[in-house]
Amino acid sequence: MSTGKLNTEGIMLFEQPFARVPYENYRKVFRTSQKSIEKELGSVQTAANDIAKRTKSADSDPEDAVKAVEGMITRVENLKRKLADLQSSAGTPTIDVMRERFKHLKNVEDMQTPNDPEFTRWADTRLDRWLVDWSLRNGKEKTAKMIADDRGVERLVDIDLFSDIRRIEDALKQRSCTEALAWCSENKSALRKAKNTLEFDLRLQEYIELARAGKNLEAIAYSKKHLLPWQETHLPQIRQAAALLCYPPTTTCTPYKRLYDTSRWDALIQSFRLAIYNLSTLPSEPLLHLAMYAGLASLKLPACYDQQTKNVDCPVCDPSLGKLAEEVPFSHHVNSTIVCRITGRIMDEDNMPMAFPTNGQVYSREALEDMAARNNGAVNDPQTGETCEFSALRRLFIS
Amino acid sequence: MDAPLKELAKLQKLAGDSSSSKGKSPSINDSLDSLLQSLQEVKDRLQVGTATDETLTILSKTVESRKKEVDERQKEVYNALAKIGKALDKKFQTPLPTYAPLFQSESAHATLERTIALHFLRTGQSKTAETFIEESNVDIDADTRLKFKELHEIVTALKEQDIGPALEWAERNRTFLQKRSSPLEFLLHRSRYTRYLLSPPPDGGDCAAITYAKSYFPPFYSQHEPEIRRLMCCLLYLPVSRLQTSPYADLASPSMHLDLEPMFAKEYCASLGMSRQVPLRVVGDIGGGGALARIEKARSVMRERKSEWSHTEELPIEIPLPPENRYHSIFACPVSKEQSTDQNPPMLMGCGHVITKDSLQKLSKPGGRVKCPYCPVESQVGAALRVHF
Repeated sequence: MSTGKLNTEGIMLFEQPFARVPYENYRKVFRTSQKSIEKELGSVQTAANDIAKRTKSADSDPEDAVKAVEGMITRVENLKRKLADLQSSAGTPTIDVMRERFKHLKNVEDMQTPNDPEFTRWADTRLDRWLVDWSLRNGKEKTAKMIADDRGVERLVDIDLFSDIRRIEDALKQRSCTEALAWCSENKSALRKAKNTLEFDLRLQEYIELARAGKNLEAIAYSKKHLLPWQETHLPQIRQAAALLCYPPTTTCTPYKRLYDTSRWDALIQSFRLAIYNLSTLPSEPLLHLAMYAGLASLKLPACYDQQTKNVDCPVCDPSLGKLAEEVPFSHHVNSTIVCRITGRIMDEDNMPMAFPTNGQVYSREALEDMAARNNGAVNDPQTGETCEFSALRRLFIS
Repeated sequence: MDAPLKELAKLQKLAGDSSSSKGKSPSINDSLDSLLQSLQEVKDRLQVGTATDETLTILSKTVESRKKEVDERQKEVYNALAKIGKALDKKFQTPLPTYAPLFQSESAHATLERTIALHFLRTGQSKTAETFIEESNVDIDADTRLKFKELHEIVTALKEQDIGPALEWAERNRTFLQKRSSPLEFLLHRSRYTRYLLSPPPDGGDCAAITYAKSYFPPFYSQHEPEIRRLMCCLLYLPVSRLQTSPYADLASPSMHLDLEPMFAKEYCASLGMSRQVPLRVVGDIGGGGALARIEKARSVMRERKSEWSHTEELPIEIPLPPENRYHSIFACPVSKEQSTDQNPPMLMGCGHVITKDSLQKLSKPGGRVKCPYCPVESQVGAALRVHF
């Protein structure tokens, strides 16, 4: 980075979810198509075998056979239409999104230096994407849509995914597990692979709600149907749930009081969020936060918090960002870097640091020469007002 | 990203419409069409009564083989998809790190919202800013909003080669600019002058340029004498075609006007006490340009060595920064390797070398003399000068 070369690897660290989300979306589209095919062609096959068998056993009626074949035709036509719809409404757009995002990443791989104007534009877009991600995660959908629209980055952001998340979370807030359970069944195999037990937690919550409402018989039936399948891994919880029926919602007995606690709903929202982020390979923290953490930590110095040494151009010296930077560590330095307070440039052998002889204020030779040229050879310290001849300044050697 | 793109192209070929798709097995659409045709034929034969037992047995087999074709095609698509997944796995080997939630406290969240609102305003996304402010209840006072709006309008005008608004602002803020010895106002005039010079009469041409120079350059003569001389002298090389091959070619190039935008934005922001670059962009570019990767690497190395960060107050490694992002001087003593502080400030010895006060005292010999560790010169400890960077 300091050598003026683009750190592609460092840039790509952030981009995995960006490339993965449409890929996962396409996998979902594929699974849907696979399900339709299995269902429709499976029954066509059964029907075909069926009439073949029946003609052989000679109890067939030609009219029935025609009807059966007609039924098969309808099924195949339906399947054809369904697949075509799926491809045009979800398949092709998802592939387009994938291509556009892969190309977007390829573009930055091909760039050489951060000074490339192309890179400036790319980084602008990246910040736009991060801000959309942040807005979506913080419930500011209008802002997110506005940025996407205004900056033309719709295909580069995941508004649909997040509005889905929001819809399910809102349902959970309204104390309804239905939507979240539907999501679980859509992603059953992926959740099982990740050993995620969100579904059990949701089921348990529905059970608790039955118990809270005093519907004990229904609760028992529910437990039989939905909790027992988890007995291999969750037997203690299932037992505890069974015992819950002996306790009223007003109980003071801690383990059961905890089960009745309504804050479980908030925990469910959290677990759902983590599960869906995990499956979509999204980080649990907004990308903007991660970038800011690293960026602020790279810049933060004690000097940023000292009124005397603040520099308006430094982001961390900005009161707002400085406040946020309180949460990150200071940067670490082993070498000296002397920055001229007049020009903002780093001083080195070609632009030596020079000190005023009595107060020790240091500036770059470049700035002081310039000042002397406009001032008949005299220089004036902007900090203290001390004036002296340029020739009286002392040179510094910093190693 | 070449590998994922290549695999994606393959997938697209397989998943596309029947006419363009190529695969080992026929497309699903074709298989279904041929299945439909077979079904239709059987139906026709059943209706006219020419169907035999065998017809239906064959139908059952046809269904089976078409189904197999469809399954094979799906398998091809599945494999193509899996290859994309593998290409992505290869490309992205390190997952994003998981951190404890950041900026969660109410005050931090409010500060972040304010930062983002200001970012939208500063980058001229005023409509987005309005929407955001509505959705988040940040309070940005009207004056600040107005200032940002003005900035954006002037910069937009500059982009469209209209320097009028910028010049008007520069005139209004002349004292401020002079105090910063900023050449902005002069450079704006220079830009307008060369535009006159390069455009044909009656709006432009040498006469118009000279008239302009006469009325606007004199106040700048003391500060920019050499440049004004060049500007006047280049008239001798007109017309433009000749000017472009003259020593004054730079004045004819359109790139001369490009610096005005950033320079104006810088001065404008300075007049409001704001940074010259967009702060959120700077932080994001540093964080997203390798800093997070480096921090993570250091963290994983330390984890392997089973040593935690000795103090979480400071990063364990140095993150290299480009020169334009060095905002503060850092003095690390070449003797003790420690960073200077108020209690242990940098001291300038007689020879011009600088070390921290503690090191200076450790090196001092009886009689208050000290020999510089970097050159043969000896000097008095008491004569060392505390320097301020």
